[in-house]
Amino acid sequence: MERSGVSVAGSGNSHGAAQAPAQPKPLLSVRDLCVSFHDGERWQQMLKDVSFDVKAGEIVGIVGESGCGKSLSALSILGLLPRRGCARTGQILFEGRDLVPLGEAAMRKVRGRHIGMIFQEPMSALDPVFTVGDQITETVRTHFPASRREARERAVEALAAVGIPSPRNCVDMYPMSLSGGMRQRVMIAMALVCEPRLLIADEPTTALDVTIQAQIMDLLVELSTRTGTALLFITHNLGLVAESCARMLTMYAGQVVEDGPVDDILSRPLHPYTAGLLGSLPQQRHRKSKLPSIPGRVPSAHDMPAGCRFNPRCGYVQPPCREPQALIAHGDRHVRCWRNEALTLPGAAT
Amino acid sequence: MTDILTVENLDITFKGRQRHQRVRAVDGVGFSVAKGETFGVIGESGSGKSTLGRCVVCLTRPSAGSVRHFGKDPFALSARDLRQHRRSFQIIFQDPNAALDPRMTILESVREPLDVAGFGSPGERRRRALAMLDRVTLAPELAQRYPHEISGGQKQRANIARALVLEPKLIVCDEVVAALDVSIQADMLNLFADLQREFDLTYLFISHDLRVVAHVSDRVAVMYFGKLVELGPAGAVMAAPLHPYTQALLSAEPEPVPARLRNKQRIILKGEIPSALAPPSGCRFHTRCPMARPDCAQREPEWRELAPGRFVACHFADAGAAVAAAPAAG
Repeated sequence: MERSGVSVAGSGNSHGAAQAPAQPKPLLSVRDLCVSFHDGERWQQMLKDVSFDVKAGEIVGIVGESGCGKSLSALSILGLLPRRGCARTGQILFEGRDLVPLGEAAMRKVRGRHIGMIFQEPMSALDPVFTVGDQITETVRTHFPASRREARERAVEALAAVGIPSPRNCVDMYPMSLSGGMRQRVMIAMALVCEPRLLIADEPTTALDVTIQAQIMDLLVELSTRTGTALLFITHNLGLVAESCARMLTMYAGQVVEDGPVDDILSRPLHPYTAGLLGSLPQQRHRKSKLPSIPGRVPSAHDMPAGCRFNPRCGYVQPPCREPQALIAHGDRHVRCWRNEALTLPGAAT
Repeated sequence: MTDILTVENLDITFKGRQRHQRVRAVDGVGFSVAKGETFGVIGESGSGKSTLGRCVVCLTRPSAGSVRHFGKDPFALSARDLRQHRRSFQIIFQDPNAALDPRMTILESVREPLDVAGFGSPGERRRRALAMLDRVTLAPELAQRYPHEISGGQKQRANIARALVLEPKLIVCDEVVAALDVSIQADMLNLFADLQREFDLTYLFISHDLRVVAHVSDRVAVMYFGKLVELGPAGAVMAAPLHPYTQALLSAEPEPVPARLRNKQRIILKGEIPSALAPPSGCRFHTRCPMARPDCAQREPEWRELAPGRFVACHFADAGAAVAAAPAAG
């Protein structure tokens, strides 16, 4: 179960995937990913059989409440899990190459270069004692044989690309003298300076005000469209997913429970948990009315309900729900609920 | 009838880091709240909404202007009388973790206000605290637990119980659901509504989340940079905002609906919230306003009543335009 630590030599470059013209290979393909942590006494499984694809240039959202495994999925893809007391199985195929068996040295060549990342709190992701320029330059020089001057020029260009008003001044500033929105722009500049194929953004706007959030989301979507960088966008905000993503995944208790095109899921969710999340949002038309809520709470890893993990909170539960549920395919959608065809769940519009 | 809360020309200034530097967190704010009403305050970080909330419950002194509870100035009371008076005016904060003492059990925390107030016998205080925990639907077995042993939603329930146990008249709810997941947030908003009916409460509901404020409030006030920019009935403000800032806030709020149902025009504000040490001249919003004209940098807009009950501080706000915009914003 442990990570082997043996570096598998990357089998050349499988970029363009010239063989299949009709169905291009996904950029990222996560297959049956399981992650467990050892709590001192026993192993606890935090992610179970997580499978999903991200195509080149696609914007995919992952939604779910805290503790559902959204961030853990991101950290696993980036190989940022602790080395001890943590086990990963399954496959994370990035451009055809499995990242799971890669050692730290090989992973470092991927992380930051081919897969960029942005986290929620830009202040804790930036080093307070180095200037913005130092930090971006470091990223560039880690991955490219660039001189200091060249790297600095690239840093200035990257800052300009994320809409920072005077990038030449900003390069020499320290993170603390920037506002939250500006810091997040710096993070985006740093993540994109190496022109990665995939950008993982974990709650990138949660710490920001709504008007600044709108600016940052617009920027992310625009950059992704312009550079063809795929975006895996993790959030608890269904509104942001609705407005910026093409496809979304709903995660619940360490599993993917629903996966499909955003508009289809919002119009008619197939999983009761997705419907529950949509229903519990306050809506203007029903001001002051009682909000539908999902009873109970997300189960913890050590007492996971048997069968469907949502069954103790689900309003549509039946005896077969006590059996484990498989992810069922429906055209371009997937759902982990055997009753999905029998149920007509309310979507966002109703 | 006298309003439960009247705020007039309220200024709150803080000392800046350097000498003679003054930060005006709240600047000339005025409104009143009727008994039983839920009054929402919307604003981004740094708008002064929390400072306003703290002042309403006498945690911060006003620099000028007044806060009146039932027409009386609480700041004129002696320390002893103020302590007595405060029981009726409670506040619940955003972070449920920070508001509970980690070394006290939930029951002890909820009982503490009764202990401080010297209410009844110890047995009676315990009974009341337990009854209140039951009312906010916290299971009795949680009463003996410590804050780290329960979830965020449960902690926030404990904080509500703690605020309610002295039977207040008004509660300032400062970002009370911001730290909670949506499904728990829905539960909590339902609980607030039930408690309001049951205990005849008045809420001053402060949040940056438009959706939440609009859902719970009868009237809403929008704050920008220490000033009120708009005030009116919640439904009307949401349907047809008068101030460009309110319009921008509404349009920036992402809507979880399929693309075909999204008909609004997005207004993306340029720039950032200006520094509190150097507030913009004239209309505070002119540096980011999509409709700003040269005039806006010079003249400060008046607080006008454009339609009955609908106030706005903008030179160019126009009731007719707002009505015309209504279907699009719905």
